[in-house]
Amino acid sequence: MRDFGGPNVVQEYRRYFNGHDVFDKEKVVITFDLHVPARDEKVASNQKCLRDFANEQGMKLFDVNTGIGQHILLENGLVKPWDIVVGTDSHMNLLGAVGAAGFGMGTTDIAGAMYKGRLWIRVPGTIKIIVKGKLKKHVTAKDVILHVLKTVKTAGALNRAIEFSGDTVELMSLTERITMASMVTEMSGDVGFIVPDENIVDFVKSRTGNDFELIEPDVDAEYEQIFNLSVNDLVPQIACPHSPDNVKDVKQVAGTKVDQVFIGSCTNGRFEDLRVAAEIIKGKRINNNIRLIIVPATTEVAKQALKAGLYEIFLGSGAVVTNPGCALCTTGHPGILAPGEVMLSTSNRNFIGKLGKGAEVYLSSPATAAATALIGVITDPREV
Amino acid sequence: MVRGRVWCFGNDIDTDQIYPGKYLPLTDKKEIARHAMEGTKEGSEFIKKVKPGDIIVAGTNFGCGSSREHAPVAIRGIGISIIIAKSFARIFHRNAVNIGLPILMLENTEDIEQGEVLEVNWESGEIRSITHKKNYKGKSVSMLEQKIMKAGGLLEYLKHAE
Repeated sequence: MRDFGGPNVVQEYRRYFNGHDVFDKEKVVITFDLHVPARDEKVASNQKCLRDFANEQGMKLFDVNTGIGQHILLENGLVKPWDIVVGTDSHMNLLGAVGAAGFGMGTTDIAGAMYKGRLWIRVPGTIKIIVKGKLKKHVTAKDVILHVLKTVKTAGALNRAIEFSGDTVELMSLTERITMASMVTEMSGDVGFIVPDENIVDFVKSRTGNDFELIEPDVDAEYEQIFNLSVNDLVPQIACPHSPDNVKDVKQVAGTKVDQVFIGSCTNGRFEDLRVAAEIIKGKRINNNIRLIIVPATTEVAKQALKAGLYEIFLGSGAVVTNPGCALCTTGHPGILAPGEVMLSTSNRNFIGKLGKGAEVYLSSPATAAATALIGVITDPREV
Repeated sequence: MVRGRVWCFGNDIDTDQIYPGKYLPLTDKKEIARHAMEGTKEGSEFIKKVKPGDIIVAGTNFGCGSSREHAPVAIRGIGISIIIAKSFARIFHRNAVNIGLPILMLENTEDIEQGEVLEVNWESGEIRSITHKKNYKGKSVSMLEQKIMKAGGLLEYLKHAE
């Protein structure tokens, strides 16, 4: 559980199961990523409540200096293929990037799961999304998943699981798989799943220190729906206000004035995402009328970025780089918008009011975001 | 069986509309209820006009978006007796069942009007419009989910399931 929803979980747990140990303290962890470090007294009290609970139960807590929960689980070897993981985060399903089933759940579910180690789950039907073709330069996994959203729509995978396959997906790195699996949430899917390849297996083995069994989808598995997408000719995509499936080619809205650009989030906050942005920004200044906010997903990512010289590029360009966390995915984080302002974000949602009343949010890849920060208006990254 | 006046909402009513993100740090259920549906077209007027027993009727994918349980907690907190929708987002569906807030799936929700008075049996799925003397048949949740709801929610259910 997280600093978001976590205090509510503890409140319910204490109300019903006071004095009981959680089912397995090795299998329950707390992560802080929403309002880190605490921005006001209420948040500080919430975080204290979780630290007290972790101490009481003897469970592991990743504090304000670590980063986004699911990424912390992956980096610390706490998740492997075929695990079922539940948490108070609607983007738990990004764990499908390593072939695990991540379910976002509410506080009651998590309190019950911590007590029993078991829960009720409606077994979803499966949608298969086959993506084939070679991506052109500056066309990324984010453009692919936005293209998928345009086809499947926000309610298209309601109560279903999504399996991604096809040669484009098979070649994707962990970072790219995270981007794909994270946005299953925006299609209302239960879980996302990508068959782990050798690189993923090596990553998980190196982090968990353990061997594990790999299971592949049955050859005769039944799918409720199959989508076939070719991405050979795909161009950079962008989700326009106020829905993640309101997707257009970047070219169609190029020239739209933007006030702020955010690069980060559980969808696009890994080292490779930041590196793509840095390659475009390198040696240049961002537009005078733009605020560029960059937030690494985790401290491990931040260290990698520091070592690779990305901080120098970002800070030299006029960007603000903040500490790891979820950042501008919801109100409450520094960088919120004024009414009428426009933000281009590499995050996963652009619902109305999510980042300030009367503000408009576009969603794109880090490449499009970086190009836009340089020019000051929405810009196709192939043109800078 | 519940009975109440209808409040109509559209498709894809997300959790930010049901319960705006800026109130996420709240943990007191009474305080949470003060912001029910505040991000929708009804705005902060909703909680002033709504009466205990009233019914929410909506289109597809009600409660999509974040995992915040504040959303159904707020709706229950202001006394809504049942939510009838074409479909519910997974997490919202679970959260509603887990806190014992009745929900019902109905295909033709567009036939129901704002202000109409309904009588609903959430176990059988039978809906009777008192205003229009009309009947509808909704789809109720599974037997296990009904048991959880009747127990008063998941934690009560688990506590006694030992």
